[in-house]
Parts: sequence; structure tokens; C-alpha cells
Amino acid sequence: MSRPTRSLRAGPLAAGLMVVATALLVGCTRSVNPPDVFVTAQSLDDLVSLDPAEGFELSSLQTFTSVYQRLVQPDRDDPARLDPSLAARWTAGDRMLTFDLREDAVFSSGNPVRPEDVIYSLSRAVKLNRAPAFILNQLGWTSTNVDASLVKVDDHRVEIHWTAELGTAVVLNILTSPIASIVDEQVVAAHRQESDEGNRWLRSHSAGSGPFKIRRYVPREALVLDANRSSPAGAPRLDTLILKNVPDAGTRRLLVEVGDADLARDLGPDQIAALATSRAVKVLEFPSATIHYLLFNTANPGNPALANPALWEAARWLIDYRGIAEKLLRGQFIVHQAFLAQGFPGALDDTPYHLDVARARRILARAGLAAGVRIRLSVFNQPPYADIAQSLQATFAQGGIALDIVPAEASEVYSQVRARSEEAVWLYWIPDYFDAHSTAGAFAFNPEDGTKTLAWRAGWQIPGLNALTRAAALEPDPETRLSKYREIQAQVQRSSPYVIALQARTGIAVRSEVNGYFQGVDADMAYYDRVSK
Amino acid sequence: MSWNSLRLLLRGVPMMLATLCALMLVTFGLSSLSPIDPALQLIGDHASASTYTQVRHELGLDAPWPRQLERYVAAVVHGDLGVSRSTGQPVRDDLERVFPATIELATLALIVGGVCGLGLALASVRYPRGFIDGFARVISLAGNSIPVFWLGLIALYVFYARLHWVRGTGRLSDAFEYTVDMRSGFVLLDAWRGGERGALSDALAHLIMPVLILASYALGNITRLIRAALLGEAGKEYVTLARAKGAGRTRVLLRHMAPNIRGFALTVLALTYTNLLEGAVLVETVFARPGIGRYLTTALFDADMPAILGATLLIGACFVVINGLTDLAVRLSDPRVA
Repeated sequence: MSRPTRSLRAGPLAAGLMVVATALLVGCTRSVNPPDVFVTAQSLDDLVSLDPAEGFELSSLQTFTSVYQRLVQPDRDDPARLDPSLAARWTAGDRMLTFDLREDAVFSSGNPVRPEDVIYSLSRAVKLNRAPAFILNQLGWTSTNVDASLVKVDDHRVEIHWTAELGTAVVLNILTSPIASIVDEQVVAAHRQESDEGNRWLRSHSAGSGPFKIRRYVPREALVLDANRSSPAGAPRLDTLILKNVPDAGTRRLLVEVGDADLARDLGPDQIAALATSRAVKVLEFPSATIHYLLFNTANPGNPALANPALWEAARWLIDYRGIAEKLLRGQFIVHQAFLAQGFPGALDDTPYHLDVARARRILARAGLAAGVRIRLSVFNQPPYADIAQSLQATFAQGGIALDIVPAEASEVYSQVRARSEEAVWLYWIPDYFDAHSTAGAFAFNPEDGTKTLAWRAGWQIPGLNALTRAAALEPDPETRLSKYREIQAQVQRSSPYVIALQARTGIAVRSEVNGYFQGVDADMAYYDRVSK
Repeated sequence: MSWNSLRLLLRGVPMMLATLCALMLVTFGLSSLSPIDPALQLIGDHASASTYTQVRHELGLDAPWPRQLERYVAAVVHGDLGVSRSTGQPVRDDLERVFPATIELATLALIVGGVCGLGLALASVRYPRGFIDGFARVISLAGNSIPVFWLGLIALYVFYARLHWVRGTGRLSDAFEYTVDMRSGFVLLDAWRGGERGALSDALAHLIMPVLILASYALGNITRLIRAALLGEAGKEYVTLARAKGAGRTRVLLRHMAPNIRGFALTVLALTYTNLLEGAVLVETVFARPGIGRYLTTALFDADMPAILGATLLIGACFVVINGLTDLAVRLSDPRVA
């Protein structure tokens, strides 16, 4: 009778001892990443597709730069300058460009890069009509006319025609966007299922010529890239690049601190502050093209005050820009008050507005709005939007404007904005390609052809600005073009239903032995090819 | 298996099917009422109106919801759970990848938590108001009240980042991640079957911390409930009679009281297991491990209907099966239950 008693008494103790012993036995040695393997800790939860015709999330855009090449690409040190990539040179004509392809260029499969691949890639992207297709649609390309717009001249030359009112500079920059990545037609066609143009296969595989190729993708776990030694861009210094999904920011910080990750992205101010004193880790800061702004929906008939320019002007003096950027969000943002982000050619850097409640009250009183205005403010239900909204609520209340904060899930907010049913909304903007037109065409262009730009969503009728934005897009002289964009920005800054307030900064932690990582201002500009450790 | 137990099992099948149908209906209905637009969630704010219309059509969102449900049920009957909108992969493939990871974690946590919890509960009743009893009360309170998310981060900081006693996140170190042939999806089993001693040791090192953290919750729950049940038995007449007949405290506890609560203990273990299966999401997030809880949570944020339905049905089926098996075990082990 005493045997079971002893065993039961000893059970928990034995189990506990076993666990501790196992922990000590198997855990006493630490894993070390080999020098030719580079591990990044980041969130991959946003990644939907690795097909350049479909992927439009931050993680996929950053991967396309490593895996694919386009005909031309922005120079990483001076993005305003275009570098030849798969095209060796190009010549411009009347709404057409002729590209001479590099004769030695091959894909990671070993297949040569041909005009057929260029035509197939661009045509496929338009016909699939996924999220980023609107970028190529801006050229006037549709699924019915795109084939006629792409012409093979000979075995190394291809012509591109467009019908939209756009100058050569804008078109070249549109062709630098990830959706214009050139895929290997022969490889993709071999994986075609029904009429999907290889889309299902390309969601988790690659067929490009970039410095890396996809070895394996496990959704929400890891993306493993191997060096593509035959890349026309040059062989990378690393053999393997592992992008690891680590959903929690605190864990990402620990991984880079210990050395199990060489780079950690998406860190919050707490993590950045904790790593600032570490000798093993250095924090790199890069400007991001993400702009945060307040939008008033002037097309909302329920609140006529929203269409009153005096309200727009008063709102510019009722935001505590510096308090939000420096105290509330602790260095994640800088104050920026023009729609072109710092780092974009032609961006206005002056910040004429600051918190001045007395001036705002005077403006509202002059406009007969002193009795008080009540506005529903829609915001995303995630950080840092709730914090920003509370700051706005406090300072607007001092000026006599009551903001009712309506937090909602992001797609719900977007639904409201697309339907023009919201009153005011705090949003962010990321340019789709590295050209001022990408942003100006949204903020300062509201044509009557049914194109639903951001200005349309704000209900802002601007025939004068439309003409100016159109002229800037067609302007052949670079300096004149930039001066036009400065003028457009100044007008929007002075009086518009947008209050542009902040520009994001990206903080990245890397191990101190890591060299050569660079990140540009635009979303896709993450460069791993020169990284070594 | 006796005819009686087979009959009991068969009796549960219609109930299981009815539960799954109801679950599917409720999940589908709630998702349809959600203000989230799955098409917009997928393509973002910049996409054109024509892309938006095309994607809504491809997702079947332009059909009335009874028609959407009908299509989904027809596909499920044919074994097709659809394609996840947020991973771009078939939901079935996703579930086959993530569910074994959760089963592995939850089962080990239940074994550790169950063995320690039952032992602690018995010891605390055997030595009431002593050190062990006090310890059991503290443990059960801590296990139920300390958030596993916080505990996980602190444990990672101390044992991984500072002391280097355990491995970090994920299921395997990068050196082994792609050498193990993950045929079954259970990393321990696959590493052992492949004869990869290094990988097996590495997988164990990655499992220890999340298992212990999750086991702490199980331990607290099991200790509290089993201890309370045993204390409830302590005042009953059969215990007094056994003591009067000269049986020792340990003998009374193990031979008389413990068998009387075995049905309850089985139910507690089963409920704890189902909670672990579903509730491992926070541990999976902190330790960057794949799992059904994290899969479902991410799908919910993305309004990814096929993934939500697939994961909900799988978790629901597990609940139903575990409950059914527990009922059967209780009936077979306890003659007082009809």
C-alpha cells in the first residue's frame, strides 16, 4: 500500500528535476548564426503574396528589391537619379520609351532576360489587376490595350507606349515601382494553373534576377533567400538571408541583443531606448516617406463647417506638432507640413504652423464658428493613432472644436473614406513610386473623369490645382518641374482640407559587427546585397 | 472496446456533427455582421475601383451571404477549406502546418502541469495548513492570475537573454530549421525519426520555456480545482469511517478520496487541455512559434474568412472530441455515472 504513495509524492519532484536537468543539458550551449547567414527579426504577418504583380504590403515590397529587378531603378545613394538596371540605356520619344536590354542579363534560372519577359511581366501585372495594378493603369494601360502598348523591336530592344498625360520622367519613375519587376516568363509559364498566370506559384516562389532568390517561404514563420550569384546586379556578400517572423517587438529586441538576429525591425520607442546603450547593437535611423495628416471631408452634407476654409486654417494652429512628435511618440516622427516627404526631390521643408490656440480662436470667430463646432474624427484602433487622436481632441477643445473620436479597424476607416461618409479622419500616406506625381496626383488632383483620388475623397474641387498638377507631370525640364511641385505644395499647405503634420522615421537595430545595410526613404528601398558581418 | 463503449461513442457522432454545423453557422453569421471589408483589408486603400470590384467577386463577397455559406459548406464537404486570403495558401495546408505545433506545446504543458498539479493538490490535502499547502495555494493563485504574456517576456529576458540557459524563439535554431524533414509537423517526432540528435536536443531546448510557461497556467488551474474537490471529500462519512477503522491519512487519501474524484479530475484535465489548445496564442506570440491560436487571431485581424472558419471548425472539432472522450472515460471509470 505504501508504494503508490511514494511514487505520487516523488512524481512532481521528479518531473520538476527532469525539466530543469533537460534545460541545463540542452540549453547550456548557445546557437550562433554562421557569418554568411543573416537573420532579421521582423513581423511578416502582413505578407500576403510574393508575386510582384500582387504583393503590396511592406514586407513583400521590401523583398521584391532583393529578388527582382526592374528596367530602371533609383540610385540608392541619390534616389532622384535613375540607374540602368535590366535596361542598359533608354531613349525617349513622343509618349514612348525604347529600352535597350543588357545583353548579359540572366535570371536566377539561367534563362536570358528577353524583350518577351519585359512584355509578359508588365502585361501580366495589368491583366491580373491586383492591388498595385493602379500604378500601371496610370499610364492609360488596361487589360485590353496593354499588349498593343508593349512592342518587341528586336532581340534586345523593347518599346513602351502610353496614352496618359504624363511626361517621360514620371513614366520612368512609375517603371521603378515593384509592380514593374521583370519576371522570367519561361519559369512562370511552367507553373501556370488555369488562367492564373502563375500567380499561385509566385506567391511563395521567385522567378527574378535580383541578388537573392527565394529558397523557401513558410507563411507567418520565415522567408529564406539564397544568394543569386549570377544576378546582373552583382552577387551579394551573404549566402543566405533569413527573414524571420517574430510578432512581438519585445522579443525582437531580445533576439538582436543576444545575437540570434542580426537585424530587428518594427521596434517601438521602448525597445529603441533600451537598445540605445547596448554596445553589441547599434540603432540606425532612416527617414520614411510615410506622411501623417488630418483630412476633412468637405463632401459630408451633415456638417457644413467641414467645407469652411476658416476651419481648415484654424485646425493648422490647433495641433501640438512638436509635443506629438517629440514627447508623445518619442522620436518616431518628425514635424513635417508638406505632402512630399523629406528626401523626395522638391519637398518643402518649412514648418510654418505650430500650436497657437489664441490665433485659431480668432480665425474661428471671424468665420462665425466661435459658437463651437463638433466633428467626428475617425481613427485606426491601433497605436499610435489613439494617442494622436487624444492629443488632437485636447488641443482642438481649447480652440472650441469638439472632436468625437471614433476608433475603428483600418479597413472600416478606409470604407468610410471611400464612401465619403466620415467627417474627419487621421490617415497616413505612403507614395507608390519615387516621384512627386505619386503624391501630388492624390492630394492635388481631382479630375472630372471619375478618378477617385484623395482630393475626390475630401470632396475638394480644385480646377486650378488640377491644371498645375497636370502641367507638372508633363514638364520635361527637371528644375521647372520641381518648382511647380513646390508651388503646389505651398498652396496645399496654405489652404486645403488636409492638415499635414508628421513624417515617420524608421528605427532599425543591427548588431555592431553588421556593415552595409541601407534603407531608402521609399517603402521598397531595403538593400541587403552589400550587407556583411 | 466493449459494445457498450462503442455505443456511447456512436451516440456522440450526431451531437458532434450538429455542434460543428452550429459553430459554422454562428461563425459565418458573426463574420458577415462584422464591419470589416475583407476585400479592402486585402488590397489596401490605394487600389483602384476595378481591382476592388474584381477582388470582391473573386472572394464571392458580391453574392448574398446565404449563397456564400452554401458555397462554403459544399466545398467543406468535399474537403476544401478554401484559400487563406492573408497567407495566400490553402487553409488546409496552413492548418496541417500550425496545428501539430500547438498540440505538441499544449500536450507537453498538460503533462507537466497535470503531473505537478495533481501531486501538489494531493500533498496539500495530505499536509493541510503546512508549508506545502501554503505553497499550493500560492501556486494556484499565481498560475491563474499572472498573465502568461508577461511571464513569457520576463522568462525570455532572464533565462534566454541574460543567463543563456535556454534557446530563444521559434521551434528550431536556424542551423537546424531546414535540415529536419517535417513530415508529421511534430518537431520532436520528426527530429527523432530522422535520427537528428542535434536537432532533437535543439527542439527540446526551444520547447522548455514555452512549455513551462503554459504549464504554469495548467498547474494553477489543476491544483486549485483538485485541491478543492479533495477538501470537499474530506468531511464525508466514508472518510470518517475509514479513519475509524484505522486507515492512515495517506491511505485514506489515495485509496478512498482520490478514486471518488477521478471523474471530476478527468473533466478538469480535459477542460484544461482544451483551454491550452485554444489559449496558447500568447505564448506562441511571445516565443514566435507557429500555432493554431496565433493563426486564428491573425486571421481575425485580417478578416480572413476561410482561415477563421477553418481554424474555428478544427478547434471546435477538438473540443467536441475531447469532451466526448472525457465523457466516455468518466462513464467507463466510474460506475456511479450511468
